[in-house]
Amino acid sequence: MHKRARSVSMAVLPLTLIIGLGAGLPGIARAEVCVGDDAGHELCLEAPAKRIVALSPGVTELLFAAGAGERVVGAVSFSDYPVAAQALPRVGSYDRLDLEALLALEPDLVVAWQGGNPREQVERLSRLGLPVYFSDVEDFAGVAGTLERFGTLAGTPEVGATTAASLREEVATLRERYANAAPVPVFYQVWEQPLMTINGEHWISRSLELCGGVNLFADESTLAPRIGVESVLARDPEAIITGGMGKPDSTWLEAWRDFPQLTAVQRDNLFFVDPDLVQRATPRLVEGTRQLCQRLEVARGRR
Amino acid sequence: MAISKPSPAIPEPLIETLEARELVIDIPGRPAGRPLYLRIAPGERWGVLGPNGAGKTTLLHTLAGLRAPRSGEVRLGGKPLSRLTRRALARRLGIVFQTHHDDFPATVRETALIGRHPFIVPWQQEGPEDLARAEAALERLDLSHLADRELSTLSGGERQRVSLATLLTQAPQLWLADEPTNHLDLHHQVAVMELLAEQAARGCGVVMCLHDLNLAARWCSHLLLLYPGGEVCWGEADSMLVPSALEGLYGQALTTAMVDGAPVFVPKR
Amino acid sequence: MADASVHRVSRKRRLRPLAWLALAALLALAIALALGSVGIAPDELAAVLLGGGDALHQTLVLELRLPRALAAFGTGALLALAGALMQILLRNPLADPYVLGLSGGASVAALLAMLAGASMALVSGAAFVGALVSILIVFGLAHGTGSWTPTRLLLTGVVMAAGWGALISFLLAVSPVDQLPGMLYWLMGDLAYAGSPWPVLSVAVISLLVVTPLGRTLNVLARGGLQAAALGVAVRPLEWTLYLLASLLTAVAVTTAGSVGFVGLMVPHMLRLRLGNDQRLILPASLLAGGTLLTLADTLARTLIAPQQLPVGVITALLGVPSFLYLLSRSR
Repeated sequence: MHKRARSVSMAVLPLTLIIGLGAGLPGIARAEVCVGDDAGHELCLEAPAKRIVALSPGVTELLFAAGAGERVVGAVSFSDYPVAAQALPRVGSYDRLDLEALLALEPDLVVAWQGGNPREQVERLSRLGLPVYFSDVEDFAGVAGTLERFGTLAGTPEVGATTAASLREEVATLRERYANAAPVPVFYQVWEQPLMTINGEHWISRSLELCGGVNLFADESTLAPRIGVESVLARDPEAIITGGMGKPDSTWLEAWRDFPQLTAVQRDNLFFVDPDLVQRATPRLVEGTRQLCQRLEVARGRR
Repeated sequence: MAISKPSPAIPEPLIETLEARELVIDIPGRPAGRPLYLRIAPGERWGVLGPNGAGKTTLLHTLAGLRAPRSGEVRLGGKPLSRLTRRALARRLGIVFQTHHDDFPATVRETALIGRHPFIVPWQQEGPEDLARAEAALERLDLSHLADRELSTLSGGERQRVSLATLLTQAPQLWLADEPTNHLDLHHQVAVMELLAEQAARGCGVVMCLHDLNLAARWCSHLLLLYPGGEVCWGEADSMLVPSALEGLYGQALTTAMVDGAPVFVPKR
Repeated sequence: MADASVHRVSRKRRLRPLAWLALAALLALAIALALGSVGIAPDELAAVLLGGGDALHQTLVLELRLPRALAAFGTGALLALAGALMQILLRNPLADPYVLGLSGGASVAALLAMLAGASMALVSGAAFVGALVSILIVFGLAHGTGSWTPTRLLLTGVVMAAGWGALISFLLAVSPVDQLPGMLYWLMGDLAYAGSPWPVLSVAVISLLVVTPLGRTLNVLARGGLQAAALGVAVRPLEWTLYLLASLLTAVAVTTAGSVGFVGLMVPHMLRLRLGNDQRLILPASLLAGGTLLTLADTLARTLIAPQQLPVGVITALLGVPSFLYLLSRSR
């Protein structure tokens, strides 16, 4: 095993040694790769990463989609997609990392979830000399850009670029198809107790928008505001959509039947979408958006 | 009724004399009453008598400097109490309280030993001499066999004697005691009064609040009667032990008899 | 009899339990260094401590385990000491460092800083300022009235704590969902967020030097304010010193690791059940035992179901409650 010291360059020294052998001089940036992350930092690796630890389920999914799946050596709890990710060694949960387990994997790149991971812990990783990429994906553009950057970092730029391009194309197709669709006022339910929805900043809201849906709570100030039943009744959605508790479970939707005056209830526009497809901003969101669009089309058909 | 008035020319006080000058104790919501002029000289045993709520405890606390008077002042050795540090005061004046706060565990010996607190500088430990004093005090109050017991396991009377042992360990020149015979059986009541008399004989000044007229009649050299309305009178015990004055004090008719040359008071039915 | 008694109050009697506790503290620190989600053999650990060993092991032991163990020790020490002082101040064995609303003030300020998106260092700074604000409000309200008693201080503090509690609930209710986990862990107390251990450790040492000479005086104060005054203690200044000191200790602890519960209440109490109530023994013993307890608890928190990490407050309670009940049942 190589001796590993505690500075940025030394942390990746073994790799540099291997790669730099041909050049004769270790440390020369022959294969240096640089990307800007979502925190606005420029991150440069002397060589594409070979041992990546992903600090959120969404990040894991994006890495796999960018062709870096084989280079991911660690993930956090609930990193369940794709199936190959389920077998990865765990380094705690996204909000409570096991730094020891993480360091023991000897990663040469850590992809953190900005806003989700404890800042103090991630900062400590940086201080220990590990390159950290901060990811904060908010929409399709972000997903596509992230795929390209992950491809670059992992030495799979072609896969990243291809996936990103096809994602952009699919989204453009959807956008085109629903560009002139009649608006449908929607209430999207995230949780039941307490009753929670999303504001206009959330990617689900943007997906709804793309399909001609109008998020009735788009103007709320927080990403996932807690709201009262009254405000839902007052805004009278034409459709109520929920991702439920992870499995098709109609109890949340059935509860709305207590309010027959709701347009959504009168027209039976109580819809379920597969939460796996919408709860993370990843390429699967395209399929989730397709589902959302179909639900809205059904609602339009019941006018 | 004989009332001793302060002499116009106050003599140079002895070091250990406790004086009250124009003292009015502060009991919220009560008129000022008559100001007190007291001189508690070495060797005197003062008893404070009065019905419940008359202000006996307040007076005692005021004399100990634990409570500010409404007006007037208390002097020890000619110096106002307010100008003495608590520590300097505690080396010369000690008090036994009616109630004890035993919120934390402590043994009898530890409790007696805190009487030495005013005499030990902060960074020092109690030495063998301090401990010897505490042991002697426990012995004197018949508590040696309980020395290692927790306070919480004691009876009321035993706890009362521990307080007196603390005061004896402190060995001040002025002894203030709030109902020192509380909770005590007859034998120990007498023992405690003997202890206080013995301290007076050594040259200490003693002031005690009492409920028992007969203990007061037997062991006090001076008496101070506190009336509920704030009226007050004081003087030598013989001159104060007048049935009419005592009946007025308690609002209770009394029968008087002489036993062993001292008056004995029994309530009338 | 007198000879035996001299022995009873001698330094030796106090030093023996302290020596045992110091040994336990060293043991706890050793365990904290030896255990983690990555196994390190004892000879490897020794090599690392002697400056050699595997590079990864060096990082794990010296960069992760050591600072965290020291932070845990310092935090536990401060909380237990603050608890012991607060119990004497309020003459109530059930008081804890948080009873006067201090952690509430710190929490509200920390949560506000988190809501504003402040960096971790700023959150800590805000927590310290919040604790100070809470101290000054309680001090001002209890002090301004003249007729001051520990009961009055307790009531003021308890009401303030209730007010802070309501504000905390309010902040949690209006905070974005993605902020909640961080906030909850802060409220529960978690050493994963601890920064440098040196502030807590140095404050612990300094405060011990400050309170040790006060020990005998505190013994007298424990008998009640009047009794203490009658024995020559300047009660009011002493009580304010205690209040400010205990508050500052708690503020530093809370700033380091959030509101870790239980240690401040139970450690001094458990020690009293075993060692009596001589503050000259109880105060340093609290420091050592509090540090030991939190170090062990934190070691368990990060290894028990590793790589999943638990909040340390859960462990302190799980460790402390049974041992407390055991001691209570065995005591007189």
